[in-house]
Amino acid sequence: MIADRIIEQGTLTTQDGRTAVEVRIPWYRALPGSCIAGAALTVDGVAAPEDSLRWTMNNRTFSFEELVDETGEWWFPLDSAVLSGDLPVHDGQAEHEVRVDLKLYIPYIITDHGVLHIEEHDTKTMKVAQR
Amino acid sequence: MTSLGTPIQGVTLYSFTRAFHARQYDLDGLIRKVAAEGFGPGLEVIGFSSLRGFPDRIDDNFVGQFRDLVAEVDLVPTSLAVNVDTGIRRDRLMNHDELVEYMRKQIEVAARLGFPIARVQISLTPDAMESLLPVAEKYGVTLALEVHADQHGAHERVLALRDRYEKLDSPLLGFTADWGATVTGFAPSLLEAYRRRGASEDLLRQVVELWDGFYAEGPPNTQKVHGERFGAFIGLAARNRRPDLGIDFAINGTGLFGPAPLDTWLEIMPWVRHVHGKFFGIDENGEEPSVPVRGLVRQLVENGYSGAISSEYEGWHWNNWQDPFEIIRGEQAVQRSAAANAGSAMITDATDARRILSSHLAQPVRG
Repeated sequence: MIADRIIEQGTLTTQDGRTAVEVRIPWYRALPGSCIAGAALTVDGVAAPEDSLRWTMNNRTFSFEELVDETGEWWFPLDSAVLSGDLPVHDGQAEHEVRVDLKLYIPYIITDHGVLHIEEHDTKTMKVAQR
Repeated sequence: MTSLGTPIQGVTLYSFTRAFHARQYDLDGLIRKVAAEGFGPGLEVIGFSSLRGFPDRIDDNFVGQFRDLVAEVDLVPTSLAVNVDTGIRRDRLMNHDELVEYMRKQIEVAARLGFPIARVQISLTPDAMESLLPVAEKYGVTLALEVHADQHGAHERVLALRDRYEKLDSPLLGFTADWGATVTGFAPSLLEAYRRRGASEDLLRQVVELWDGFYAEGPPNTQKVHGERFGAFIGLAARNRRPDLGIDFAINGTGLFGPAPLDTWLEIMPWVRHVHGKFFGIDENGEEPSVPVRGLVRQLVENGYSGAISSEYEGWHWNNWQDPFEIIRGEQAVQRSAAANAGSAMITDATDARRILSSHLAQPVRG
């Protein structure tokens, strides 16, 4: 588990009320969209509304509802995905505290309670770039 | 009398997950590094970790480049670790036919890349393994199901597989023995990682005591006992007001540090086609403090094992302060010393390794 690498330092961007950050998989192997079960994006303590969150990988953008059935696109361990949501971030000079929460299913570990899922989070401080 | 085995030295790229993930090496660079360091000749790769687009988008161009590289640096592909992702869908587990096709695609890639073994996983039942035998035969790939903590060589699920293998009597069905099933202590480097996360000495003492108690009781032979032990670690963390560490204690304490005795491997030894030399660290004396590497190598040698041992360093999950390449170097030195002490030697020459691995995989299980 490599949770401290989820957020890519220096990748926070914002435009017209939408904010995005690049994220890395905290796991050793690729997972398909169907195993990316949820995320949260929080900047300076304010979370983007859940239904506004979008996930971009392999040049395709998904809502989390769309990811549920997505077994064709995979998040490779070397690739950054982009998590974005409705969240105004104004001050371009200030340092912002960015937090990302991720819920992933580990598809080959089947427990008595179903497919194992892990919840990981990372917090980093960075400036925001206007796109 | 069984003649002494000559295990083949090797490594899985999984050991270097942290460096690869950090983009310090790409696949080409990491394979060259492994060869230059002398960590081979055996080379194991995890498909879903190292190969972009695995298994559906592995084109012939990539296959050619991979084979050329491995030949150029004189490594010997041993095992392609493939995954049994039964739980890939959210609405249900894969059905039997879906699972067979999912595995077939990965096994085909193993053959195309030149790996004689595909490491498969415990979610495959005896029936599923039987269904996959024609796939193994079609591609000429040995399926070596990994016996990994919390299972072990004498676990009910493993014995059921062994009994089916015995009935099917094919040299293409066997096991990968993962040394994490037979661990003798909670890894000190993980305790150090918890210390760095603010765990008290008192809490760490209790974690070690709990694990030592399970070790004294013996390994879990059923999933029920495993579940109870998993819960005990979570309870311990909660009672000590560190619930944030509970899942971590439980996953590592039951899933990485399996407490089975060494002789459990004898239950399946004739079917062991590949070995994961799982370990967690090397101490100041140059020894592995929690995995009995010397005893495990001696056992393999004395039982005539001449397949590959992939050194599999798993301390990278928590150890971000030591160099994994130095740690692998240290563990392989212990393996070579142990093989010599047992009257044999680890195979480190690529030409010898190719010949011996081919003979090891071709022979019938009951020779």
